[in-house]
Amino acid sequence: MFKTYLKAAWRNMLEKKGESILNIGGLAIGMAAALLIGMWVVSELSFNKEFENYDRIAQVMQSQTFGGEISTNTFQPMQLAPVLRDTYGDYFKQVVTGSFTNAMLLTVGKKKVSRTGNFMEPGITEMLSLKMMQGRRDALNDPGSILLSETTANTLFGNADPMGKVVKIGTTMETQVAGIYEDIPENSEFGNLTFIAPWELLKITANFEERVGWGNNWFQTYVQLEDGADFSTVSNLIKDVKYNNIKNGDDPSSIRTKPVIHLHPMEKWHLYSKFENGVNTGGLIERVWLFGIIGVFILLLACINFMNLSTAKSVKRAKEVGIRKTIGSVKGQLITQFLSEALLLVTMAFAISFVLVLLARPFFNELTGKALVIPWSTPLFWVVCVCFVLTTAIISGSYPAFYLSSFEPAKVLKGTFNRGQGASRLRKGLVVFQFSISIVLIIGTITIFSQIEYVKERPVGYDREQLLYVPITTSGLITHFDTLRDELLESSDIAEVAASDVLVTGTFTTNGGFDWKGKDPNMSEQFNTLRATHGYGEMIDWEIKEGRNFSKEFKSDSLAFIVNETAVKYMGLENPVGEYVQWGDIGNFKIIGVIKDMVTQSPYDEVRPMLFTLHYGDFLNFINIKIGNDSNTKDALAHIESVLQKYDPESLFTYTFFDEEYARNFINEERMAKLASFFSLLAILISCLGIFGLSAFVAEQRSKEIGIRKVLGASVLGLWKMLSKDFILLVALSSCIAVPLGYHYMNEWVQEYSYRIAISWWIFAIAILGALVITLLTVSFQAFKAAVINPIKSLRTE
Amino acid sequence: MLLELNNIFKWVQQGGQRVFLLKDINLKVAEGEFISVMGPSGSGKSTLLNVIGMLDGFNEGEYHFMDESVHTLREKHRAELYKQYIGFVFQAYHLIDELTVYENLEMPLLYKKIKGSERKAMVADMLDRFNIVGKKDLFPTQLSGGQQQLVGVARALISKPKLILADEPTGNLNSKQGQDIMELFKQLNNEGVTIIQVTHSEKNAEYGSRIIQLLDGRKV
Ligand SMILES: Nc1ncnc2c1ncn2[C@@H]1O[C@H](COP(=O)(O)OP(=O)(O)OP(=O)(O)O)[C@@H](O)[C@H]1O
Ligand SMILES: [Mg+2]
Repeated sequence: MFKTYLKAAWRNMLEKKGESILNIGGLAIGMAAALLIGMWVVSELSFNKEFENYDRIAQVMQSQTFGGEISTNTFQPMQLAPVLRDTYGDYFKQVVTGSFTNAMLLTVGKKKVSRTGNFMEPGITEMLSLKMMQGRRDALNDPGSILLSETTANTLFGNADPMGKVVKIGTTMETQVAGIYEDIPENSEFGNLTFIAPWELLKITANFEERVGWGNNWFQTYVQLEDGADFSTVSNLIKDVKYNNIKNGDDPSSIRTKPVIHLHPMEKWHLYSKFENGVNTGGLIERVWLFGIIGVFILLLACINFMNLSTAKSVKRAKEVGIRKTIGSVKGQLITQFLSEALLLVTMAFAISFVLVLLARPFFNELTGKALVIPWSTPLFWVVCVCFVLTTAIISGSYPAFYLSSFEPAKVLKGTFNRGQGASRLRKGLVVFQFSISIVLIIGTITIFSQIEYVKERPVGYDREQLLYVPITTSGLITHFDTLRDELLESSDIAEVAASDVLVTGTFTTNGGFDWKGKDPNMSEQFNTLRATHGYGEMIDWEIKEGRNFSKEFKSDSLAFIVNETAVKYMGLENPVGEYVQWGDIGNFKIIGVIKDMVTQSPYDEVRPMLFTLHYGDFLNFINIKIGNDSNTKDALAHIESVLQKYDPESLFTYTFFDEEYARNFINEERMAKLASFFSLLAILISCLGIFGLSAFVAEQRSKEIGIRKVLGASVLGLWKMLSKDFILLVALSSCIAVPLGYHYMNEWVQEYSYRIAISWWIFAIAILGALVITLLTVSFQAFKAAVINPIKSLRTE
Repeated sequence: MLLELNNIFKWVQQGGQRVFLLKDINLKVAEGEFISVMGPSGSGKSTLLNVIGMLDGFNEGEYHFMDESVHTLREKHRAELYKQYIGFVFQAYHLIDELTVYENLEMPLLYKKIKGSERKAMVADMLDRFNIVGKKDLFPTQLSGGQQQLVGVARALISKPKLILADEPTGNLNSKQGQDIMELFKQLNNEGVTIIQVTHSEKNAEYGSRIIQLLDGRKV
């Protein structure tokens, strides 16, 4: 029986090719979108899950209060881990201090490659259950050792045996390969850990023991809990560890920030990374939900097309139902028949959607910045696929099946069958649903794009053009900075050179411990700071509002601040220039100038109070170079490379233009925008396919009426209006639903940015207009086609 | 002269061959005539009627309708012409199922852009004349075949055409109903309306003042 059903369904499909292509194609697009989103969601949800100790690992966080706001981050003093180990050892299997995973230069003989890796305590290998291919997990105990990932080992040594060979990290640290581990899965926090060097090595080389105390939050701490311990209990136990230690120790000034230590479980790193005022409020999970919902909706839109076309067609199939019923088919059999038809179509659509997914994957990967894989070999994947097909078939097939099978044969065959008011109303409702969703998505897309545009247009207050930086990786560049600068400036292509500790695009270093006349004693002040050599301000062309730039003529400028306008307001100074600010025990600084606010952090945020100081020697991390606006960039770069290679022959010459650096601020948002536009395009496409089919159906159903009207004198224009009007009304109704929804959600979205657009009417106008125009084009095609047909053609068939 | 066909040819290409639907038709119709067109099935009666009604074109020959040369007119002008002077009655009635009797009657007036009050009066007039006032709010499916055709005729007449073209108007009716429609045509003809009808029945053909026989697209 089932086979005959499928046979009938197959013939039915072949008979109406256009309709079937529309039906299957629309479903395939919807299913492909749902599959892609599904794969992305699964990949986000399974982030980090490949670690055996996934549910036992945590990162130690620190929350500090600045000016009444609690800010939370992963930065820790290096003294923390030993205390946790010694005092709370019962609760931890592992406590690991590490630096930050960074690109570093690895040298083997003459071979130099840049790889991302970290300096970490030995426990990390057990914590991450590294799969050792050679050597042992405890090899890191030797401060002269290094562990390489398989890929890194291959790049460095090719086929040769790497064990015991010497690898130089940076320009000074020599290590011996003590183990090779399998590459850590890319879909994880440690995916870019392609080598691990001993923390001891860094600590000794950089002389941290002497230099850094509880106040220097320069490192990270990871822990793995003992069996039986749970995160919240342990979190609670250790919360005052830092506070208690600074209270008794060497840095009482940072007590005011009320540091609280707590654990952030690995399960939450990826999806719940956002802390607001000390509370873990979410993060990427919101986006996972958002796109998950969009995926479901897109699939639903496609299912709706299927339902609408099936019930619309039902008039034609009513006769078949009538006949089948009179020869003895019962309702249940008819339902089975129609469901098998749906299943056949959905299965075909699924096959096509698979091809679409394969085709779209590279593009989608680029869009999401992920490497999505299709797990062909896992049985679970196929089970999920089968469920997916069945669900889709049931969603799209059940209503038509019940609807069609309920026809009464007597009425149907006698021809007094009414055209199904109920079904047609439901169809209209579903079209409204489709277009409401599509319009909301369009509104969202336009809002996101205009927010990005708005922020991009934000004046930054300095000149980025032809400005680049080179990271300082060896002290050679710092000690000879003046002569190096002179040599760079010998070329007329170079306009100016200055070194700084942070980049003007990301001044995230903050400092406290300041005092000035009239300061509120309870204020726990925090300034962002930038330290640079002479000429920095002139180079980036900041705008002096009051006072002057740093100058070599004033020796006293080594104890001077230039502040931004926000800092003046923050400090509550009437006449800032000439005032003095005491900075801990570093010195008493005179304010010599005020500059106009510049955007030196996230362009989405308010400008923060900034202090600029002169600085030479240690802690300078970047050489900033301005190439003359009329210079040949290529020549300039060649000159820079030759000079830098002279002072630092060991490093690879790398440079980045600030334009590029600044553009990074938009990567996330632009990705979101591209995804949103991609999916709203799909949604509108699917909805259009739907009304394309429906309008074709309506035109066909009314062909007799159109013929009569033409004979009685209706014009083509009039008929076109008559046929399009209904759909336009539906889209207009959808707009009424979509506008408040879109406004609500997008208003919520822009609130996340302090520098944001006001959502204005034109966004809605464009979205609605767009939807109307697209609808009109889609429907007009069918309407016009029907209207120009010679009426005797449609009337003759009676 | 109301209309005049001179040497009308109409053909279609089929498998590289010309298949003639109308061959060398010559016809003069004076105002006030009542003509019956007869002939076996497939002889081209409907085709001829469509050509006269300007719903269909032809390949050769001349067609004059009230001093206008139809064969040289542009589509739009032709539509104006038939909207103005021609009413159709179909064998299958061709009423719009979604509209009531009243609305069906009103439709041609809407297309002629006749004002609301005048329209109302004209529809009321027609309902009255055909004795279907009581049926005006019913839908076509709620009427008998004869009643539907009555509405069909009323709709053709409402815009006061000079010429009525009827393609087997009684084909779907029983003989009593058919006779009623024929009586109605006779009466209209007496009032001065020109009528051309296609019919298979000798008896109905007798109502006309002239009979045209077609065979294989040719007048005999
Ligand atoms: N567009 C066309 N293409 C090919 N053949 C056509 C076309 N239109 C009509 N014919 C043929 O022309 C012939 C005349 O058709 P027409 O409908 O005028 O016949 P009729 O005399 O009205 O017949 P009936 O009494 O059955 O209504 C028929 O053989 C028909 O098949
Ligand atoms: Mg005929």
